[in-house]
Formats: sequence, C-alpha cells, structure tokens
Amino acid sequence: MSGGPAVRVSIESSCEKQVQEVALDGTETYVPPLSMSQNLAKLAQRIDFSQGSDSEEDGAEGEPRDREWGKQEQEEEEGTVKFQPSLWPWDSVRNNLRSALTEMCVLYDVLSVVKEKKYMALDPVSQDPTAGKTPQVFQLISKKKSLAIAAQLLVKGAEKLSKSVTENQENRRQRDFNSELLRLRSQWKLRKVGDKILGDLSYRSAGSLFPHHGTFEVIKNTDIDLDKKIPEDYCPLDVLIPSDLDGSAYIKVSIQKQAPDIGDLGTVNLFRRPQKNKGSMQPWHVKLEAAQNVLLCKEIFAQLSREAVQIKSQIPHIVVKNQIISQPFPGLQLSISLCHSTSGEKKNNRASPEKSKPDNHLYVLEHNLHQMMREFHKQQLSSVVMPHPATAPFGHKRLRLAGPLAYDKTEISNLQQSEGLLEKIIKQAKHIFLRSRTARTIDSLASRIEDPQIQAHWSNINDVYESSVKVLITSQGYEQICKSIQLQLNIGVEQIRVVHRDGRVITLSHQEQELQDFLLSQVPQLPSKVFNFWSSFLAVRSKSCRRATSSRTPSGATSEGRTKRSTGARWRDETSSTRWSCSWLHSLPVLR
Amino acid sequence: MEAPPVTVMPVTGGTINMMEYLLQGSVLDQALDSLLHRLRGLCDSMEPETFTDHELVYLLKGQQGNPFILRARRSLSHPNTPWHLRYLGQPEVGDKSRHALVRNCVDVATSHSLPEFLNEMGFRMDHEFVATGHMFRKGAMKIVVSKLSRILVPGNTENTERLSLSYLVELSVLAPAGQDTVSEDMRSFAEQLKPLIHLEKIDPSKQRH
Repeated sequence: MSGGPAVRVSIESSCEKQVQEVALDGTETYVPPLSMSQNLAKLAQRIDFSQGSDSEEDGAEGEPRDREWGKQEQEEEEGTVKFQPSLWPWDSVRNNLRSALTEMCVLYDVLSVVKEKKYMALDPVSQDPTAGKTPQVFQLISKKKSLAIAAQLLVKGAEKLSKSVTENQENRRQRDFNSELLRLRSQWKLRKVGDKILGDLSYRSAGSLFPHHGTFEVIKNTDIDLDKKIPEDYCPLDVLIPSDLDGSAYIKVSIQKQAPDIGDLGTVNLFRRPQKNKGSMQPWHVKLEAAQNVLLCKEIFAQLSREAVQIKSQIPHIVVKNQIISQPFPGLQLSISLCHSTSGEKKNNRASPEKSKPDNHLYVLEHNLHQMMREFHKQQLSSVVMPHPATAPFGHKRLRLAGPLAYDKTEISNLQQSEGLLEKIIKQAKHIFLRSRTARTIDSLASRIEDPQIQAHWSNINDVYESSVKVLITSQGYEQICKSIQLQLNIGVEQIRVVHRDGRVITLSHQEQELQDFLLSQVPQLPSKVFNFWSSFLAVRSKSCRRATSSRTPSGATSEGRTKRSTGARWRDETSSTRWSCSWLHSLPVLR
Repeated sequence: MEAPPVTVMPVTGGTINMMEYLLQGSVLDQALDSLLHRLRGLCDSMEPETFTDHELVYLLKGQQGNPFILRARRSLSHPNTPWHLRYLGQPEVGDKSRHALVRNCVDVATSHSLPEFLNEMGFRMDHEFVATGHMFRKGAMKIVVSKLSRILVPGNTENTERLSLSYLVELSVLAPAGQDTVSEDMRSFAEQLKPLIHLEKIDPSKQRH
C-alpha cells in the first residue's frame, strides 16, 4: 500500500490467562492453562455419545434422557442445519463409535444365545451355485491378475539372474585367460612386444648355439560359441608355434647288416609315435613341449651331419637327406635318421603298416644323443667359461692360460674338445653291438655244449664304452672239488680282453669266430682237471704206484694206472689197473 | 749376423681388430636386489657369478699430448688365473645414431709378473681400485654390476673404502669390427631393463672437466 511510512502493526495473542487471584503485593496468579490431554478431555466431555444420527431409529434402546436430548437435538438440527458448531467434527467419531458399540452388543448377545442352543442354532448355509457365478469369474480374474503380477516379478528376477550368470561366465573366461597366461608364464619364457605376447622355446638360454629363433606367439582363443555348450578341453589360450617345428620328431638310430645297394638309400619311413597326452597337461604345454623336442632333434641332427662332413675318418660317413650312414664294423651299417612327422601327415601314416614293426631302433642310443646334446649345452654355460677377472673376454679358462704358459700347438689342440657327437655315438654303437654279439656267442655255446656247463654272469653296472662278464665253465658234481675255469671278459669298443684266473691276459678282436674258438679251447681243460684230481686222489691211496699213464685221445683223455696192494704178512702182489677215459661229450667220467 | 726381419707394417687381423660395444649406467644400493633379480630372469640361466678384481691403470707419458693408457686387472677371488691386460682406444665417432659406445679393444692374458714388466717398459701406475660385484651373460653380451672401492694404502687390497653409494652397471660386447647389429641387440636388451636402470652411451672424453 503506498502512502506514508509503513505502519507497524503488532499482533498479540489475546488469550490471556485467567487471573485466579491477586495477592496482596500485587502479583497475579494465573490459572494454569489446560494441557493437551486436559483440553481434549474437556472437549470430549462436551460430546454427547447418546446423541447420534441414527439415534431416532434405535430410539427403543436409547435411554429416556437421551430421547429427550434427541428431540431437542432434532429441533436444533433443523434450525441450525447451516451452522456447524465445533462439535460436528467429532460427530463422525461419535457416530462410528456408537455404531461399533451397537454391533458388538448385538454380536455378543447372538453368541450368548447361540451358546445355549435352546433358542438359536447355527446351520451351514448352502451355497447357491447360481449366486456365486459372478463372484467366481471375479475371483478368476483377480487370481489371474495376481498370478500375472507374481509371474512378472519372477520373470524379472530370472532375467536378472541369467544376466548375472552370463556376465560371470564372461568374467570367468576373461579371468581364465589371465590365469592360464599366468600358468604359462610360470613354465615358459614370455615377453610382451607391442600388443603381442611372444615366447621363447629354444634352448638358447640353456647354452645352445643353434641359430633358430624358437619364438612362439600366445593368442586368445575366441572361436567359442557362447550359446553352445563349452567343450571339455576348452582352453582360452592358444599358442602359435613356428611352422617348421610343427608335429613331432625323434632320432632313430639303428644297426643293420650292410645294405647291398648303396643307391637304395632314401628317406627313412617315418612312423608317428603314439602321443601319450596325459589329461592333466594343458594342450599348450603339450604343443610347446613337442615343438621344443623337434627343435632339439633338429639341432642334434645338424650337429651330427656337420661332423659327418667335416671329420675325416677311414670310411667316410654318408649324409643323405635325413639320414647319416656310417660303418662301425665291416659288414655292419649304422644309420641315424631324423624322423619328423608333421601333423598334416597324420592321415598318411595311418595307412602305413610300419607301426607294429619295432625296426631295431636302439632307444638307448637315442636317449644318449639327447643327453650328450644337453651336456654340450651345459658345458657352454658352465662357470668355467665366466672370465676372472671380469673384463676378460669369454672363452675357455684353460685357453687363456695358453698365452702366459706358452703352450705350443699340440698342447692347444689337446685343450680343444677332441671328440664330437658323431664319434661318441659311433663308439657307443660299436660297444653295444659287440656286447650283444658276445652274449649271443656265449649263449649259443652254452646251449650247444652239455658236459661242462658254461655260465655267464653279466655285471649290472656298465659303462657306455665298457661292459664285463664272468664266464664259468664247471662240471656237474665237481664244482667245489676242482676249481672251475673262470674267465673275466671285458668288452670294450673294439676289443675283448680276457683275464684268466691264473693271470693270463688275452686280447681278442671283434671277430665273432675268435671268441668262439677261444671258448671252445677253454672247455676241454676242465675234464683234464677232473682227471688230474682223480689221479692224485688214487695215488694217495695206493702205497706204491707203478705207473700211471694218461694219454689224450681225440675225444678226451684216457689214463691207466697200476697200483700194487699189499696186506698182511705175506706179500701178495696184486695189481689193479684202472682205466679211465673221459671225453667232453659224455656227462660223467666213466670208471672202468 | 743379420737381425731377423722385423715387419714394420701394422698388425691387422686376429684379436687386434676387436671392438668393444659399451653401454653404462648406475643404480643405487637400494635398487641392487631388484636389478639382480631382473638380470637373473633375463640372462642365461646360470649360477650368478660374483667377482672381486683389482685393477691398476698405467700411463705412459710420451712427448705428445695424450698419454697412453693400459689397464692391468687381476682377480682376487681366483688368484691363480692369469692377469688381464687391456687397451681401450678412442671411441669411434661414427654416425650418432649408433646406440652404443664403440672403441677398439685389445685383450691379452699375461702371467703374474705384469706390473714389474710394465714398470720396466716405462709405464707408471696412475691409480688403482678394487671392483666387486656380479657378472651375467646373455649370448655374447656381458653384464657386469660392480662396486668400486678406493685403495687407501697402495698395494694393500684389504683396506678399501667405497667410492660411492651406487653400483656401476656395464653392458658390453666384444665383436669384430663392422658388425652393427650388435648395438641393436644391446639397445633392445637395455630397453628391457628400464625403468630400473637407464643404460646409455657415455663418452669418456666428454666427462673430463
């Protein structure tokens, strides 16, 4: 409102407390205002519960006083229909309470009457089928609605669950890749180049000098269909190995009789070794191990072929395709071949019948080749190579001494490694062959000869270049009496050394016939020993012995002895002659 | 008697033309363990080799400006090994893009009378120090982690005092002249050691104040 200065209007509550008394000194004592509950009680007292909107209908139950009031109220009602006193908000409360009280009284009365069962009885009310039709439909509809709501809730819950399950699976696959990668890293060398993960499966860090890079790549296996069931051997990680290390390989070492036609050489038949895939190993582990094995076999073969070409020997070694052929002994052929079957050739090999043939493959030599290669690697890395002092160049320790100690050429060449892989393996093959042939000779003789028994005790602990066997020639029944012939045979690379029990040392060459002849010469010595024993035995018993003659016959030995026996006082000349003959074709010496 | 013919042509070939490719860096003492772990993983799998060496640097002062430096080194942990005499030439000022320091290097193994021999030849010992540490190798690369100590009393290798609180790391390859792929391999190996240590080529001539 425009105009003069604003007028300050102050509003004060006018509800002043009533003065109860005024004291003599002027202080006023107010009536304490009513509290909330007191106020409410005061208002409630003003409600007349006997008055109700339906009190006219239930006039018979009302009290006479109320009736009076009711009439008065009616008159007031008609007159003051427009005016709403403050009591009227409580009207609905009063009416509801009154009707509730009425209902309760009625129910109580009915129940007490029914309890007595004299005036009232309860009977089940028969359902009127026609009357419930519309309620049933209504029931159906309401049930359908509630079911629909419940179904919706369940469907929503199921959706959420399935979503979380798929998410979990995705996460698991992701986590699986990482955990597989962790496992891979714990066993193989990996490094990250850009966004690729590369690994190294070569033996270079273990001392190999083979110039193959040996790099493999680790990739995620994403060719998986989420809708289909995940296969049992699913692995989220896959490795890509270099193509030339694919498949599996092994080195086949075999000895056979000399092939008549040297032009008949060709690629050795490759037959695939059955791969034992243990279920516990990861597929990438199997793949990587196979590739590493192929690499090692290639390195071994490369080293052998290099040596075969470089080293000068009396009979040159032949290197043809994947085979190295050499002649350890005349008439014998040693062939070392690298058999590499790639996975693409699987189908071809199924058809080949070579699978069942063992093909006289010397597994021991193959194992030794692997072992020697690894030893060579280890030697490259040995601490002997690390220079002391630190600034000196790498190289063999002893070679550095060549300068200060003024070695000459022969001494330096002695320091260098003398024997190569090929020479070593040829020596081992020679020894194996000689040993097996010696065993065969001894066994054939032992089975042929019955009279003195030939036994062979092979020692368990052997060297790659030397084995030993003890050959005993005994006669049945005479083992303790006359010491049997014991021969110790030391089988070396090219020779057999025989040590006799009496100290003689004889060296035999690798010829089979020599050994056989030598053993055959040892056998008749036994019967003559037995004979010597018997003759000495008899000679002790007789007091005098005229003559004992023994002679050797082509089939054995015969001996005659005359003994004289005298007893008692009178000389009685008795001569007895014994004639023995024994031959090594009969079992017992025959006394005649 | 005629003197035997002496060749006046410079000797070429053999070990004379070996070049040393070098990268250097340093780590503090606290970081040594992690560096050794890293190197054990990266390098050839061998037992880690420790060494203790005593190096003497000999100078031959000629009439010209630069003295001729020879380094004589012996192992204190393996006293029976021969002494090692080393000559290191000036770094090659080839293309700047080469990642490693390249210099001519001549290594000779000698007997134990080397110091006397050098003294007789006219060399004078400039300084000496003791180096202890670890050696690793990866193929042809040699990684040497060494702690240098100063010798307080000349000739007494027991009484030493550390020069710094860090370790010197050197990555070196000895190769014939002309092989530049070596520096590439060295650089890629040095990349793998980052950020533990930064190996770089440090020109010794630029260090002199």
